[in-house]
Amino acid sequence: MMQIHFERTGGFMGRNIALDLDLSSLPPDQAAALKLLVDESDFFNLTELRPENPMPDGFVYSITVETETNKHTIHASELKFPQRLRPLLNDLLSRTRTR
Amino acid sequence: MSHRHSIFCILPPHMLDQIAQNGTTAQRDMAVKTLASSKQVRDNRLNMLTAAMSGTFAVTGTKQRTIYDAKFGTTLPGTVVRREGDAPTQDVAVNEAYDYCGATFDLYSAVFGRNSIDNRGMDLKSTVHYDKGYDNAFWNGQQMVYGDGDEDMPVAQRLFNRFTISLDVIGHELTHGVTQYEAGLVYQNQQGALNEAVSDIFGSLVKQYQRGQTADAADWIIGEGLFTSNVRGVGIRSMKAPGTAYNDPVLGKDPQPAHMKDYITTTQDNGGVHINSGIVNHAFYVTAINIGGYAWEKTGQIWYKSLTEKFTSISNFQNAADLTFQAAGEIFGIGSLEQVAVKTGWTEVGINVDSTPSPIPLPGGEGCLKGLMRSLGLVK
Ligand SMILES: [Zn+2]
Repeated sequence: MMQIHFERTGGFMGRNIALDLDLSSLPPDQAAALKLLVDESDFFNLTELRPENPMPDGFVYSITVETETNKHTIHASELKFPQRLRPLLNDLLSRTRTR
Repeated sequence: MSHRHSIFCILPPHMLDQIAQNGTTAQRDMAVKTLASSKQVRDNRLNMLTAAMSGTFAVTGTKQRTIYDAKFGTTLPGTVVRREGDAPTQDVAVNEAYDYCGATFDLYSAVFGRNSIDNRGMDLKSTVHYDKGYDNAFWNGQQMVYGDGDEDMPVAQRLFNRFTISLDVIGHELTHGVTQYEAGLVYQNQQGALNEAVSDIFGSLVKQYQRGQTADAADWIIGEGLFTSNVRGVGIRSMKAPGTAYNDPVLGKDPQPAHMKDYITTTQDNGGVHINSGIVNHAFYVTAINIGGYAWEKTGQIWYKSLTEKFTSISNFQNAADLTFQAAGEIFGIGSLEQVAVKTGWTEVGINVDSTPSPIPLPGGEGCLKGLMRSLGLVK
């Protein structure tokens, strides 16, 4: 079991974007690809970042991943966003942009 | 974020002068440092000096623009693609960033006598083509950054054009820099919404100034041209009618309030800074319409004076109302048409001007004087 909650707030427009994914309800190949991105980012070992001063019009991202045994959230501005989490972020972002 | 020492707030400079002259060595050092960090004092002295030397008041300089290309990556600032004085390139985003940044510098210089973002001729750095599919622009504390919107999607699905397309967006971003060097408004809650409004206000003035439009002829739209034709909307925000800029099946409806009774309390977007700014934006609009003529001439002067001499990092809406009213009285006279128009503008959005503003408390509830005295080691 794996659930992902993704949120983006801020930006010039100030429009909030949220996405909830339950991997068990996705096509198997997509679920496997997402799980790989989570595993490759070593998500549960990423340390929580210190709060930063907000940057005018900058985006702030928040990703929560939950499994049977683990639940962890990474919350960071786009400039401080962990590099190794970028592939997962880009995947989640592209899902929010599908019309 | 703020360069200004937090103890400066509304303490009169003459008190700091007093301490600077009569305090102990440590107290003097602190007072001198605080005095030096005050833009107001510094600018007054600079202006006096310049006036004495040249017989003119305004301090202006030449612009130094550099445009960088992030090449769809996220590394800042990227590769230099156009410097000041270089001929236009083949890249429309580069040229827009260059030209509109120049137009913003020109408004600040010609109308307000300001020499760039920091009033000391700071280089104007902009990065274009930031990230892929990046529907945004921002100020990172040192420079402006622009995405290309939905360039990576099929045309029929795109909602956003490149963010350099809109002159007022560039004016908005550059103004975040000005605010950082002046009031240093905290980017959170009402202070953050005031920070946002200041950027929309001067962003709109840049556009009106370039087009030579009077207040009643201007559209007061922020982000005109940002939406593609797939979106039902005229822009991101409307200062004239907050809440009406767009109403789209995908993007939803413009959430901006135009009145305090509709103020939105939220934890998103740093406390709704891009939402509640509509209230302040509209107060500015009503004032500008009531004064009439070119908005940058009188309403703009009132707000520029307020931003650079009166607002502090923790000014909220009420404080902004009181201080813009005060500034209008100082420039145009107590009870002048202009001062009355400022009051009317705020009344229209549900804020009653207090003509005798009380001191704003420091964060944490400490009084200004006490905070200063503590910093100087005079009290524990
Ligand atoms: Zn902004």
